[in-house]
Amino acid sequence: MNIYIQGMGCVSPQQTAAEGPFLAEIREYEGNRLKVLDPDYKQWIPDANTMRRMGRVVKMGIGAAKLSLQHAGIEMPDAIITGTAYGCLADTGVFLTRMIQRQESALSPTPFIQSTHNTVSGQIALLLGCHAYNSTFVHKGFSFESALLDSIMLLREKTEQQILIGGVDEITDHSHTILSRFGLYKQEPVRNTALLQSTTKGTIAGEGAAFFVLGTTKGAVKLTGLDTLYKPASQQEVSSAIQGFLATHRLSTADIDLLITGRNGNAGEDAAYTQLTQTLFPQTAAAAFKHLCGEYPTASAFAMWMGAQIIQQQQAPAGILYSGTAPQQLNRILIYNQYQGTHHALILLEKA
Amino acid sequence: MADLKAQIIEQLNLQEVKPEDIGNDQPLFKEGLGLDSIDALELIVLLQQHYGIRIANPEQGPEIFQSVRTMATYITAQQKQPG
Repeated sequence: MNIYIQGMGCVSPQQTAAEGPFLAEIREYEGNRLKVLDPDYKQWIPDANTMRRMGRVVKMGIGAAKLSLQHAGIEMPDAIITGTAYGCLADTGVFLTRMIQRQESALSPTPFIQSTHNTVSGQIALLLGCHAYNSTFVHKGFSFESALLDSIMLLREKTEQQILIGGVDEITDHSHTILSRFGLYKQEPVRNTALLQSTTKGTIAGEGAAFFVLGTTKGAVKLTGLDTLYKPASQQEVSSAIQGFLATHRLSTADIDLLITGRNGNAGEDAAYTQLTQTLFPQTAAAAFKHLCGEYPTASAFAMWMGAQIIQQQQAPAGILYSGTAPQQLNRILIYNQYQGTHHALILLEKA
Repeated sequence: MADLKAQIIEQLNLQEVKPEDIGNDQPLFKEGLGLDSIDALELIVLLQQHYGIRIANPEQGPEIFQSVRTMATYITAQQKQPG
């Protein structure tokens, strides 16, 4: 059974939520944190009373979800599935901070109500009046992939026809400070457009939401495969996993028209991507995406949105290419992303 | 009452509402400012946080939170009560 991407929407630090040519201009940022370019959320959330209680991540999720439904030409999905590692982090931060400040008394209910991880999926359902299957996966760097896997299984079991599925995460002042202490982000000044040439440790923080409508009736892009690999012991294990994944789909590395990797400017992690592309994909054009959206646990949702756009529009914008020249026909794209060296994921997209 | 209006706006995150937009006798709930039950909880928290007032009898709620003026009257009365 084939599974197709029938609609997609993305809210990110780039101009992805507005009408216009696909990533024609890459928005430049200075510093180690990329923030979402907030579209006018009133177009999707008309009720001011509902809107004022929503955190940014909820609005981002609703924006991307509504865009994907609009793109698919439907109003009501048969299921809503979300992947998020951090959930509604801003409201969690507000609630916990007030607990400390007010010594666990006189706590506001709104940040508590809005702080749970499934708030995004729940608010989308409330807004649509959708009483169908609703699930949220919280699995760090596999959150989006787990949501995707659930969608694929539901479609294969024919229990649902059209599924709204997405990945969403936000970065807040609190989380940025804490994750900076772990050494995740660059200490020196950095420009996102020069990130991929960086030779130092660390990357840039990011955030965003990308949603898709998946179904079994034909769409422009086919979601052919998904696989995950947790804590591989060696680079060789990753290479074997990629070859095995492609072989499962009766393909070899030479069949891939464009490779999208999760290269993020962190010298250590990028060396692994370089080794892999040189050994397995020496002739294949390679693109990157984390200089556009930053690093976050569900960034692979942005990569899938970008890959699907490339296939649909048959165009790889210059600002995303890392090496090689994209062929004129872009029929098959492999996304290989890894999060903090532990969570490795493969997504295979094909022109339908 | 201007301070109280500003506190209500901040507590409830009433974007695009200014203190002068809220009438002293304008109903806070339903057809007035359009607040709901979650906002009622937020207003209870506001009284506790800013004025140290705990509402002992929940049945008084509709009367206290009828408008900004009724809230202000209740706060003043509570503050005048001997500790």
